[in-house]
Amino acid sequence: MGNALFTIFKTGIITQRELFPSLPDDANGLPTVTASPCLGGDCGRCAGICPTKAITVVDSSVTLDRGLCIGCNACIRICPSGTIARDLSTKTAVSTREELILSSQSRANVVPIPPKLPFKRSLHIREVSTGDNACDLEIIASTNAVFDIARFGVHFVASPRFADALLVTGPVGKAMQEPLLRCYEAMAEPRIVIAVGTSAISGGLFRGGYAEANGVSDLLPVTSYVPGDPPHPWSIIHGILLAMGRV
Amino acid sequence: MNTFKHVSETPAALAKTVKKWLQHPGRRFGHLTARVCGGDNPAIEVLLLDTLTGSGVIITARLENGEMEYPSITAEVPAAHWAERAMGDFFGLRALDHPRWKTLILHNDVWPDDLFPLSPNSQAHRERYQFMEVTGEGIHEIPVGPIHAGIIEPGHFRFSCAGEIITNLDIRLGYQHRGIEKRLAELPWQQTRYLAESASTDTAVGNALAHAVAMEQLLGIDPPPRAQALRTIALEFERLSNHIGDIGALSGDIGYSAGAGLFPPMRGAILGLAQLLTGSRRQRYYIKPGGVERDLDGTRRKTISQELSIISARLEELLPLVFENSSVIERMEGTGRVTRDLAKDFGLVGPAGRASGSDYDARRSYPHGVYPECAFVPARYETGDVLARARVRADEIRSSIRVVNELLEDLPSGPFAVDCHGMSPAPSESGIGIVEAWRGELIHWIITDGSGAISRYAIKDPSFNNWTGLAIAARGNLVPDFPLCNKSFNLSYSGNDL
Repeated sequence: MGNALFTIFKTGIITQRELFPSLPDDANGLPTVTASPCLGGDCGRCAGICPTKAITVVDSSVTLDRGLCIGCNACIRICPSGTIARDLSTKTAVSTREELILSSQSRANVVPIPPKLPFKRSLHIREVSTGDNACDLEIIASTNAVFDIARFGVHFVASPRFADALLVTGPVGKAMQEPLLRCYEAMAEPRIVIAVGTSAISGGLFRGGYAEANGVSDLLPVTSYVPGDPPHPWSIIHGILLAMGRV
Repeated sequence: MNTFKHVSETPAALAKTVKKWLQHPGRRFGHLTARVCGGDNPAIEVLLLDTLTGSGVIITARLENGEMEYPSITAEVPAAHWAERAMGDFFGLRALDHPRWKTLILHNDVWPDDLFPLSPNSQAHRERYQFMEVTGEGIHEIPVGPIHAGIIEPGHFRFSCAGEIITNLDIRLGYQHRGIEKRLAELPWQQTRYLAESASTDTAVGNALAHAVAMEQLLGIDPPPRAQALRTIALEFERLSNHIGDIGALSGDIGYSAGAGLFPPMRGAILGLAQLLTGSRRQRYYIKPGGVERDLDGTRRKTISQELSIISARLEELLPLVFENSSVIERMEGTGRVTRDLAKDFGLVGPAGRASGSDYDARRSYPHGVYPECAFVPARYETGDVLARARVRADEIRSSIRVVNELLEDLPSGPFAVDCHGMSPAPSESGIGIVEAWRGELIHWIITDGSGAISRYAIKDPSFNNWTGLAIAARGNLVPDFPLCNKSFNLSYSGNDL
């Protein structure tokens, strides 16, 4: 027992002080669309190689849907013009589905919906996993001493009755739709939904099959979207704080 | 090419033939599934493994004239019991005299009873799932799930209890079914790697590697030695991070906060090294047929090597906090026992198998990464309890660090991938990738049609074997010890449900 205490003291504080540090230079990160001009429809290699058809090229404008992107980086490696490039930011969460769609062509500004802010100081979350256990592990990581999500007043709870937010991972196949909706119905209002991971947002790789694993976006109103497969723990924290109106 | 022999058998004689073949030492049941070939006639395909020679046999039994029933293999070989039920769900085939015949993944309350995704023209109908009922004085049931209390995947557990003692545990899974196997047989082969890797995303490296091995057999290529070494490092990082995390989680379920607090950052440290190697913490989309996506330069190699020795020294400080702590040991010792005989009968794999006396480690038998050339004698315990499963993990943490260190020290030079994008898989062949993932033996089995397109893609997650182990382990234990039993296996729900 003395030994354990000694080890804990010796370890000291390991919590990261810097919030949302960028990924290291050689990490993968999500793709982004830069101002660098696209070679256009004749090239189209990025759209051809994307395993989830997240990219469309029309004339010389590229549109990239991060809600479908699995972050495999194939498009970044193949793009000859640097139009698609690596984004190393961990502040990747957004509050509308439209904001996940990046384009090289300037479009009407998407106005983010400000959250209704009933949970600014504290948020209790019921996590429901539906088929992406790497996401679950990254959420568990966000609770460890390094990321320490509890410092923001965020706690994961056992029952939907205690929860303010429903956090969904995985593509929500047909067999999880009813349990998920019943969990949501068991929560007291006001309540919000956070979609973590590409499969939760759109179904990602699983989308469009007989199992109806098309994500949570069509089933419940989502307040915060965290793209990535799986997202970095800092991105998950970003998404949760975004839902609270704190970033 | 793989070294698996193909033989044919009639469905009526299949069970006896399988049993006879398995009587030799070192042989084990691998997987069983079906495929629809020529018209609507399905063929049962049984994969049997000879772990001593690193080969095996594929037995094909064709059902003729619309026949949908055959004598169950489970009656002779218990290890086949889940695979036969899954085959019933997806093909509408019925195993006669199966001792626990019911649905495994596609249950009637969710899916239409005439939907057979892998055999669309089947005329069969599924029956409603019946929980096993225990009767007797004072027996009561505790239903748990599908949504559990923690941050964990969904599945339903039905406990039958006498007071606080679990007399039977019926595990009903299938909540995470995403239709992976059907989709994998529809995609061009170059695109299958992404979905194949996502069968169970916490085992991304294991799945990607098993896919690559199977695909490379079909393409007739050998990845370069440098790729094999880098793949092995990724595989061992995945094992390390998950084993370290599990020892922390076990401490948490025991109520030992020091362990629960100190181990997770160590898992994170390994994930940091994994990110240096592959570009992402979970090592996603790194391994591909032909090699890996990126090379490891000298600077990063040195950093990984230095960091790993710091982590290793730190773990040697932390592991005794758990394994030399009498209050922790007492909770784990004797809890959740699986006897050697039952573990063998049901074909338990990975740490769960080796905690119950098995010496099977796919790294010693089947080629993947630098194995089996660089294989070592695996950790093995006889008691089959939570403590034994935890000890196997602790020992494997040490052996994985050793393997990674050796590989970093002496990384083969040369290319890290060969380009195979334009190649086509061999027609009418089987590619079989067998990998020792962190939970145990993981099989990707790809069958091509006459044109070389994938006609059947079967995945056997290690959890597919081990869920039965958990049901056995829970029997006779206290209900409050169940989380501990469960965590000591830490099985994948999504890898089972596909």
